[in-house]
Amino acid sequence: MNFLPRLGFVLKEGFQQLLRARGISTAIIVIVAATLLQLSIFLGISRVLDKALGSAREKFEMAIFLAPASDAGDIKRLQAQLAADPRVASVKVVTKEAALQEFRKDPEIDRMVLALGENPLTDSISVILNKDATDRLDDLVEKLKGDRAVEEVSYGKGEWETVSNLSRLARWVGFFLGGFIFLTALFIVSNTLSIALWARREDWILLSRMGAPTWMRWGPYLWEGVLQGFCGGLLVVVLLGAARHWAGLLLQKYGSFDFLLALSSEEWWSLYQTLVLLGMILGALGAFLALQKRWVKELQ
Amino acid sequence: MLIQAFHLTKVHSSGVKVLDDANFSAPEGSFTAVIGESRTGKSTFLKMLGGEDRPTSGVLRVDHKDIYALTGTAKQEWLSEVGMIFPDLALFPDKTVGENIKVILEAKGSALEGSGEAIFKLLSRAGLGAKVDAKPEALSSGERGMVLALRAMIFRPRLLLADDPFQGLDEKAVATLFKLFLELHKAGSTIVLSTQQKAFLTESKKTAGDAVLSWVKLEKGKVYPLEEVLP
Repeated sequence: MNFLPRLGFVLKEGFQQLLRARGISTAIIVIVAATLLQLSIFLGISRVLDKALGSAREKFEMAIFLAPASDAGDIKRLQAQLAADPRVASVKVVTKEAALQEFRKDPEIDRMVLALGENPLTDSISVILNKDATDRLDDLVEKLKGDRAVEEVSYGKGEWETVSNLSRLARWVGFFLGGFIFLTALFIVSNTLSIALWARREDWILLSRMGAPTWMRWGPYLWEGVLQGFCGGLLVVVLLGAARHWAGLLLQKYGSFDFLLALSSEEWWSLYQTLVLLGMILGALGAFLALQKRWVKELQ
Repeated sequence: MLIQAFHLTKVHSSGVKVLDDANFSAPEGSFTAVIGESRTGKSTFLKMLGGEDRPTSGVLRVDHKDIYALTGTAKQEWLSEVGMIFPDLALFPDKTVGENIKVILEAKGSALEGSGEAIFKLLSRAGLGAKVDAKPEALSSGERGMVLALRAMIFRPRLLLADDPFQGLDEKAVATLFKLFLELHKAGSTIVLSTQQKAFLTESKKTAGDAVLSWVKLEKGKVYPLEEVLP
């Protein structure tokens, strides 16, 4: 019986405070929105790179070129060995004739092959690797290179590592810069909310003297912070939505830059949700920090 | 609530001794009026009873409990049964009169069903029904004082502490408020009020009828039964 009227007060009061102190609320909403807008850039870049990395992993192939002396028994042995490896998704044998046929589709290469008068290629095994195997292939490659039937092992380790490193770097830079921006915004939001709290300190004392429990005095400010964060998040979602729409039209016109909007609708939606949630967390944390100030505690 | 105070002393930080070995008791359901000249410590005494101003020394028990030893939930529970009419317990400037009264029900965690109607009825009895949606700034000082008093009574506190509640009220409003005090008293609440107005003594005795009022006087830091100080 005691809880519901008090909870009702907290929800109503937080909402009324948001509307009452319009200047401060607007300032906080703008700060939150500006912060989230900057964070969205890092989040967006990180997701695009993650996607590129994921896509690179999916296409991750290894080509094993066999020595000219290798025979059908060697091919079968290697095929069985690779098929049994948990890192391998599929194995396909490409004969040197099939490889040549593929190469000769390019007229330039076809002319070179004709000039040579013989097939310079060797039999090979094309291996598609599992997505999660890309980080731990060294032992497999070493083992294959040591096999007498294998002449060369080729896989896009360098390319994949570049994308992977880039993604990692973007994530770290995003984490540090984003974290710095978030903390700066938190400091500003908390101090702005402190001003609001100071302006209403008499109300705080009144509630305390009336016997309102601590959470009932804290609650409206926390709730107000959450609402302000939510509004800031919503504002960013609207801005990003509009930017995405207009940028989409622009990029279509100039072409070739579609990768900037490479996220699917679901991924955009997930980004929006993350931003709104971050806004609410920023608002709530800002309010919480404002409530931790010594002079607030002395109001009790 | 039963109030028992023995050898209460209060020395302000300025060194002024407001209470000096004062004794006071108010049985459960009693109605006590404390009279005294200005600056004799009536407000300090009432705040002390409300748990807002710790005595320098002495024993103060309310319902056999040391209210200054209460903390957290226990203190809130105790406060949820106490109504206070103190001039510095102002109205919330951003809330309407109705909301200002309702907020105490929310703070005390009282059920809110039908509270709007109850608040309007109470305001109407005090002649303030039309002001239910007005902001405090639109009220006269007398009306604000009346709203403060109504706010402290709406939840039928077991103990009502009223510091000079008739200050700034006209004769009609004094009579109305006193009637409301008597109703609360008859319902079982313990009431301790302070006043400077000696004329109120005769008037209230007339209005109170059969109600039993105790009168005490606060003078030179001590509390005296009124018969002892009256000529």
